[in-house]
Amino acid sequence: MSEHREALETQFARILSEYGAAISRLAFSYEAVASVREELVQEIALAIWQALAHFRGDCSERTFVYRIAHNRGLTHVGRRRPPHQPLEELEESEQPVDPRPHLEEQVARTDQRARLMSAIQSLPVTHRQMIVLALEGLSHAEIAEVMGITENNVAVRLTRIRKALKDALGERP
Amino acid sequence: MTEENVTHTGTHTNDRELDTWREQWSSVAEPPAEFEHKVQQRIKRQERRFVLGNLLSAIAFFGLLIFAVLMRHQSTWMGTGWSTGICVLVFVAVAFRIWFSRGTWRPQTQSTRAFVELWHKRVTARIRLLRISVYLTLGWIIFCAALTAANWATIGQDVKAHPKVWVVLLVVCTLMQYPVIWYWVAWLRRRKLAELNEVTKIMNEMDGKSLP
Repeated sequence: MSEHREALETQFARILSEYGAAISRLAFSYEAVASVREELVQEIALAIWQALAHFRGDCSERTFVYRIAHNRGLTHVGRRRPPHQPLEELEESEQPVDPRPHLEEQVARTDQRARLMSAIQSLPVTHRQMIVLALEGLSHAEIAEVMGITENNVAVRLTRIRKALKDALGERP
Repeated sequence: MTEENVTHTGTHTNDRELDTWREQWSSVAEPPAEFEHKVQQRIKRQERRFVLGNLLSAIAFFGLLIFAVLMRHQSTWMGTGWSTGICVLVFVAVAFRIWFSRGTWRPQTQSTRAFVELWHKRVTARIRLLRISVYLTLGWIIFCAALTAANWATIGQDVKAHPKVWVVLLVVCTLMQYPVIWYWVAWLRRRKLAELNEVTKIMNEMDGKSLP
């Protein structure tokens, strides 16, 4: 195996361990069905691997990963638009387990999380993309770089999207 | 969002509402079990498929070329004509594919916007390619029919059948291919048009045309 390939594999393994959870969260915003989502997560990882050889460091690794993940997510939505399935309808086993000890608190948190996810999934795809990047803690500059729009545009759109998300959360019981 | 809760630090905007959402969001999902292992397996599978696919294509193409050369001294030129026809067909199909794929190799920038624009161009190119494929397929059927007719004298002696029976059989076989081709093209075209519709919708969303 060549040294270059070995270096790529090491970098890829590090990216997967560092961004694996973020990629899974991001896949949640594009796909509600667990089995299909798992497939999407793998496809995103595969797309990152294919693009990694061409990554020249002209942007941060974080921007690179999120950009590819979102592009793959968009392709998934464009090629297969399943009927909307709110998270409440998914099996309980598909919900991530919260390790906190208090049952009531745990139930409330799970409910809030499900409502947030459902509200995010109800947004148009590009709105989803932007709010997810904001929730992942990317700055306006980084979001602008990923999306290919200006920072001002990001700020304006995020304000509108947050209002839409709040409305969507408010509509849900 | 309550304005009084918002603090601006450079380009970052932090507020309680966003922080609450972030906290809820961060506990949404963990990577699926054996995620890395599954991805590694998939990469290996894909690389094997890529090598095997290219190898088989090269073997098939050069095999047909060799077949065409070897068959050129035969009394009937059915085999030569058929294999040469296949080679020409592959060459023309690849040439059309390259021609229609101009400007769709890589995005102009690395942004999502550029990716979606590239995606739009690619889907449009595929739809055009699909239209050409129909003409090429029809051309191929006509070519095969003409080839058989041209070699009729030799084939007729071998099969010892009445020419009328063979003509009817040839016409029926040709006509039977039409519904299959029509269905396949209609299905692919419907899929690609639906994809184009989705991409256009995403582009409009990006332009802010569907923002509330």
